Amino acid sequence: MATHEKVDVAIVGAGASGSVYAAVLAKAGKKVVLLESGPDWQLTDLISSDFWGRRIKPASGPFLLEGKNPFGYVYQAGWGVGGAALHYFANFPRLLPNDFKIKSEHGRALDWPISYDDVAPYYDRVAGDIGVSGDAKAEEIWRPAGKPYPMPPMKTFRHGEIWLKGFEAVGIRMVPAAVGMNSAEFKGRRACIYDGWCHVGCPIGALANPVVTYLADARKAGAEVRPRATVTRVLTNPQGTKITGIEYYDEKKERQVQEASVVVLAAWSAQNPRLLLNSATDRHPKGLANSSGLVGKYMMAHFSSGTWAMFDEDIQNHMGTTGAQFMSYDRYGKTSHPGTFGSSFITAGSAMKTSDLGGFANARVDLFGPDLHAFMQRAARGLTRIGAFGEELPNIENRIELVSDKDEFGMPLAKIVHSYDQDAIALWNANFEEGLKIAKAAGAKESWSGRGNMPTIHLMGGTIMGTAADNSVVNSYGQSHELPNLYVAGPGIFATAGASNPTYTIFALSLRGAEHLAEKWSTVAG
Amino acid sequence: MTSMQRRAFVKGAALGALAFTVGGSQVLLTPGEARAVGVPFRLLQAHEAETIEALGETLLPGARQAGIAHFIDQQLSVPAEEALLEARIMNVRPPYANFYRAAIAAADRASKAMHGREFAELNAIEQRDFVNLMRQNKIDGWQGPGAGFVYFLLRSDAVDVVYGTVEGYQALGIPYMPHIAPERRW
Repeated sequence: MATHEKVDVAIVGAGASGSVYAAVLAKAGKKVVLLESGPDWQLTDLISSDFWGRRIKPASGPFLLEGKNPFGYVYQAGWGVGGAALHYFANFPRLLPNDFKIKSEHGRALDWPISYDDVAPYYDRVAGDIGVSGDAKAEEIWRPAGKPYPMPPMKTFRHGEIWLKGFEAVGIRMVPAAVGMNSAEFKGRRACIYDGWCHVGCPIGALANPVVTYLADARKAGAEVRPRATVTRVLTNPQGTKITGIEYYDEKKERQVQEASVVVLAAWSAQNPRLLLNSATDRHPKGLANSSGLVGKYMMAHFSSGTWAMFDEDIQNHMGTTGAQFMSYDRYGKTSHPGTFGSSFITAGSAMKTSDLGGFANARVDLFGPDLHAFMQRAARGLTRIGAFGEELPNIENRIELVSDKDEFGMPLAKIVHSYDQDAIALWNANFEEGLKIAKAAGAKESWSGRGNMPTIHLMGGTIMGTAADNSVVNSYGQSHELPNLYVAGPGIFATAGASNPTYTIFALSLRGAEHLAEKWSTVAG
Repeated sequence: MTSMQRRAFVKGAALGALAFTVGGSQVLLTPGEARAVGVPFRLLQAHEAETIEALGETLLPGARQAGIAHFIDQQLSVPAEEALLEARIMNVRPPYANFYRAAIAAADRASKAMHGREFAELNAIEQRDFVNLMRQNKIDGWQGPGAGFVYFLLRSDAVDVVYGTVEGYQALGIPYMPHIAPERRW
């Protein structure tokens, strides 16, 4: 075992949130080390292929998947620098004011300890830092005004435009989607060329993944990225009052200790609780930051109601981006659909490829043999889809727990227990019903709901934020209530899920938390 | 594999081919080419490969010739973290060979119980009807990974080798448009 020279900050995970912390703190003059369990991917590794795109995702993971709706882990997880944001679709909707006070306003779910106004300036800052294309003014029909996005909206294509008549018919207003992509050259990064391979990683830097944005900034400012470093424990002093560093295993699977003044857990939402639970000591017998017993609790996901449609014209569905062309918050009110509860966020116009989960072939998984060939021929010309993300409310039974089986480093595996409740199922169904109405009004030749197992997308929660140690794990900056030099970052700190893709909010909250840490450094790290 | 070796491998494979062993040397071939020149299987037994080809061909005609068995065999022979199979992103736990072997055994057991013959020995109509029951999880006494899940993953493998390639895109009349192009048209 080797003990490394003490650093100011050890960050666990080099994905979206860890990269922001690293950039801010390295620029503030702190000595920063990022420990990443996967490889140090380069842009040249991002091959335009559905097969090769699987390589930047983990090969399984240390999680057992249980419950009525087991969480779909690997497809949306990251492995290596950039994390899941290396292959994300870069849809950048934000949470809305009604997401932050659901308990106060409806007597359900949880309140965040902050409001939209606390986060809004950071949305604007992130947009300026990494580049967002969209029409902020158009979004003001649903949210308070903010700064314009630094780039105009992306180009649109027929497979997105063809839906607009249908949306209008049911009273849903669509606006240009806000995306973390370049509609024009931005800070030396190229403009998008609309070839639809975003989901396997953008090697030209037109999509704002961490490798070309905050992680690049962090490296320039001197942060060290240590790839193939698997963190197994967060370490404390004998009194249990301070974090002293982390234990990890290196590429040769040898145990190492990295001492640090501050530790930021920025791994996946399920991995952060696993680490905290595995770091139990005599002083913290239930795990670190867990006097409330809430570490690993309130895991949340989004579900999507996808509506497929076949049009009798060539709509060039292979063109564009994997992100959306159009978006709407017109069903974002918590009671928008009668008899249901929760927000829905609507998108239209994603480019499609032939294989992989989101490809043509899986639009009709019931077809095989010659029928599948015939469908593929038609799909290549006229297939398109819309989607409505739905909000799952926090439920304490959806949780992470350690189990007795162990990984190659002797660290207990964890199980993710996840089931949707009746509110979620009702909202999922309502969005399917509306989707079919939209398709019909748009003039689709055929349309159908993309039903199957209810999907679980964007794992959130597990280390939620709140006002105190008895109702949450961290405060609104991601700082542990119990161990002030321990931070948690990422969607795990969300108190509720909203229905918006989470990465824009992850960036914004991480920027807020990192700047708070830099500002309070002497108090926190002293 | 060193960083330099990985880069060289990725450069070729990236662009298309997979590393197959021919005459003791590693060469980059597409799975269809590997099948055409009779590259020996690394892990699959002859019957396992035959069953995968029969299932693949039923799921998507052309999958046999496109090298579905060679694709899966090659992928099972590399470390899990290098695997490109759809199984990887569907939460199948490595080693992935365990899944495929269990799936093949389950199909053969069920086929024998239903028809007295293993799946690869059924005629085309029997194979189609059997796969249709697999799809719906309606095979009595099926033992192994869920029949519907096996259907889904093998169907995905078949789609990968037939339509995930540059040739597959050409067959559909749409451009592949890569940022990093498959030099071997994979």
